[in-house]
Amino acid sequence: MSFRTKVFLSITATVVLAVWVVAAVVSTLVSQSFERRDDQRTATAVGQVQREIGRRGAEVARRVEAVAESEAVQRLAVNPGDTSQYFATAQTLAAEQSLDFLEVVGPDGAIISSAEWPARFGYKEDWLTQSADWNMQPAFLKKEDLSDGSALGLIAVRSVKAGDGMLYVAGGQRLDKEFLDSLQATDGVGLQIYRNFEPRESPGPAAVLVDDVRREPRELKRVTDAASITAIPLEGRDKQLLAILLVENSRTELVSLKRYIQGTAAAVGVAGVLLGLMLSFWTAARVTRPLRDLASSVRDVAVGKWDTRAKVWSSDEVGQLARVFNAMTEQLVEQRDRMIQAERVAAWRELARRLAHELKNPLFPLQITIENLQRSREMAPEQFDEVFRESTSTLLAELGHLKTIIGRFSDFAKMPAPELEPVDVNQVAREVIQLFEAQLRAPGRPPVETKLQLGADAGQVPADPDQLRRALRNLVLNALDAMPQGGALTVRTSRHDGKVALEVSDTGEGLTPEECDRLFTPYYTTKQHGTGLGLAIVQSVVSDHKGTITVQSEPGKGTTFRIELKVTM
Amino acid sequence: MELSNADGRGGSALSMPIAETLVRWNSRGEMEPVLAVAWQHDPDYKRWRFSLRPKVTFHDGEALTGASAAPALLAALKPKYSDVSIETGGQAVEVKAEHPMPDLLDVLALPGAAIFRKSDANALIGTGPFRVTASEPGRHLTLASFDDYWGGRPYLDAVAIEFGTGRGHADLFDIPVGPARRILPEGLATWSSAPRTLVAITASNADPALLQALALAIDRGPIGNVLAQHNGEAAFALLPHWLSGYAFLFQSTPDVPRAKQMVSQLRRAPLSLSYPANDLFLRSVAERVALNARDAGIAIQPMPGGNGNLRLVEFPLESEDAAHELLRIAPQSNPPDLTRAESLYQLERTLLDEHRIIPLVHLRETYGIAPRVHFQKPGADLFELHLEDAWVDQRAAP
Repeated sequence: MSFRTKVFLSITATVVLAVWVVAAVVSTLVSQSFERRDDQRTATAVGQVQREIGRRGAEVARRVEAVAESEAVQRLAVNPGDTSQYFATAQTLAAEQSLDFLEVVGPDGAIISSAEWPARFGYKEDWLTQSADWNMQPAFLKKEDLSDGSALGLIAVRSVKAGDGMLYVAGGQRLDKEFLDSLQATDGVGLQIYRNFEPRESPGPAAVLVDDVRREPRELKRVTDAASITAIPLEGRDKQLLAILLVENSRTELVSLKRYIQGTAAAVGVAGVLLGLMLSFWTAARVTRPLRDLASSVRDVAVGKWDTRAKVWSSDEVGQLARVFNAMTEQLVEQRDRMIQAERVAAWRELARRLAHELKNPLFPLQITIENLQRSREMAPEQFDEVFRESTSTLLAELGHLKTIIGRFSDFAKMPAPELEPVDVNQVAREVIQLFEAQLRAPGRPPVETKLQLGADAGQVPADPDQLRRALRNLVLNALDAMPQGGALTVRTSRHDGKVALEVSDTGEGLTPEECDRLFTPYYTTKQHGTGLGLAIVQSVVSDHKGTITVQSEPGKGTTFRIELKVTM
Repeated sequence: MELSNADGRGGSALSMPIAETLVRWNSRGEMEPVLAVAWQHDPDYKRWRFSLRPKVTFHDGEALTGASAAPALLAALKPKYSDVSIETGGQAVEVKAEHPMPDLLDVLALPGAAIFRKSDANALIGTGPFRVTASEPGRHLTLASFDDYWGGRPYLDAVAIEFGTGRGHADLFDIPVGPARRILPEGLATWSSAPRTLVAITASNADPALLQALALAIDRGPIGNVLAQHNGEAAFALLPHWLSGYAFLFQSTPDVPRAKQMVSQLRRAPLSLSYPANDLFLRSVAERVALNARDAGIAIQPMPGGNGNLRLVEFPLESEDAAHELLRIAPQSNPPDLTRAESLYQLERTLLDEHRIIPLVHLRETYGIAPRVHFQKPGADLFELHLEDAWVDQRAAP
């Protein structure tokens, strides 16, 4: 995971978490506030309903008293004999007193006249005769049976003495939707009365609440997304559950506000993500650019650009790192320069040593020969002539030897630029091995087995054929020199990854790692009679062909040189 | 004299003859002559011969003859006797048919067989003691005494009848059935007819067993005593007892438990009981019936107007002919011989057992009579109140 991604995720997670927490807290506080408001509204509405019921109850009681004191009822009380002529009295009196229900009931509990259900005259209302002190009792809720169903009424009863018995006047008003509509409505609060003798509400939260209150008559509350509903049981005289007042507080505002909060939180979250994205880019740019510069500088150093310097962007840890890196590269350059200088000195010393060694060998015979020639002037002319011939012959030979030595050094100094042309690598390998065949088969020569493992796909490479042969020849010579007791010489060719490999392996004593490190240094040799230029020439040729040469060797297990040349330059 | 009819109900008990029939039943149940003074028939009752009363004139002065009476007679008889024909000659009228007409006199005694004529100016020109001087159907009718009436001029010079109004200053006014009766001033003279209007439930499409249960559940007493304000009698038979003489045989008491038991074994179909719209009395009866039915587990929905599968219907008597009235209430395609009381009872028993009709109450007609109005023979006839017997004491306050 990149640093930028990590920064982005960190910022995004922080912003989203913070927004979520804030939204949750605000949402909870808002919900609590609304619930307190709903509770207050519900309490207000319930109080209003109860006050209105009380007020109407008192009004109903007053009107029923007026009916009880009316002339018609008093006349009936005085002469309660034939009550048939009072059959329609209740309707008239109810209309006069604006009562929805009115029944005049005789001492035996039989209805004499009924306003709400005129046909019920003669039917019994025994509950009226079971209390003797109706005139002291306030209005109460009662289920009123009607011809077309039932209704909930606020009923008051008053009794009038009629002979030895009592006449009862029971009247009241409906407690229905109109009653609720007459109340001063509170915004967002809906009132409904469920009558316990009606079919149950259609399925819904209110119906569930009604069922709960019917099972256990007590105030209950139910909250849904749409509304919070409070159910208050309304009981009659005998504590029977007659109706349930449903106070519904709309939660539309709360839901809208919650949605607004959620929407805002989502918007802020998205903005946070975008901000995180931008910050991550910005932060990453600020933090990773110096690091990337530093990494680039490290890579440059790795490829040998020792003078590379990292840009110091800041004074923080990254800046300190850049400064330390720069100090390190400066030290490395200094060390490299010192090493190069030391190596140059060493090389010059080696060259001087080698030159002194190479030149000293032929110079000593030249000196002896010349001294011998000087002494031979004293000799007889015949002897002098012989000595002169021998001496001049020796001098020429040694001078030739010196010329050869100088030629080798000259050749190394004057390596020509390669003239590239398509060269069949396998063909070159065969020609070089063939060149050594005679030498290998010379009598007294330790047996060396040659193996040609030429890859069929090796093909051609752009190369200078003479220089390539020379390089391969040097490697073969080096291998043969490494096997003074004989062994196996293997030449392999192969092709892979756009390169052609040319390997020369011997089964000699092998080289130490230190020897391997210095192997291609000019004038370095592990042999008694080498110039130390053979492998240096090979490396020079390979380098001029943009190729690489490597060596693998372990003491006692032989050595393998591997040249890799590009198929295309 | 002014006369008012408040709700349009009844009026059949008020006799104010404009047109007269050939014969009529008297209060003793005997057939007596009116415009016909004699009649005879052949043994097969296929040919009847009537001798018309001489010196009888219509209100427009034309003499009553066979020829002038024939059109009205033919129109009255055709519905019952399709092949009837009439021949006239002077004061003689001969009624002939291919089929026997043993009950021809009963038919001729009905108000529908009254003899009258029409003119461009007057739609009803009869021979009765009163003649029409002005009329506006449904609103008012003005009568004047017919000075040349063959039975002698009536006491009243004129009668003004207002329909659909309150009592006002009327000398004679009908007292509607129901609660209005209780607001009558004390001491007011009234005349009540014998029960002469049957209120019954007729069923067009209902389970007879359910109707039997309904008949058992209905408490008829309160309908007559309370709803009709004692202006009716509980009816267990179709004909009132004074007319049939056997109505007590059908008397019963409500049996709600039995009705419930019967209903519990039936498939309960909703019933609707329709009654004439705007008729407050029948509405209260329908609601009471529905209440009684509910006690037995029968659901009945009272319905003003409309066509319920049950209907609340009034059957006012138009004559004192029990057989005729029974057949009016329950027409029969092949009526049996109802000249004997037993056969009349059997028919009514059969009709009631079929439960197609449930009698509820027989209503009286009651009239309030102003103090200045007097009748020559008050209470002599409980079927009709005869205006031709009334007079007004002009000295008394109206």
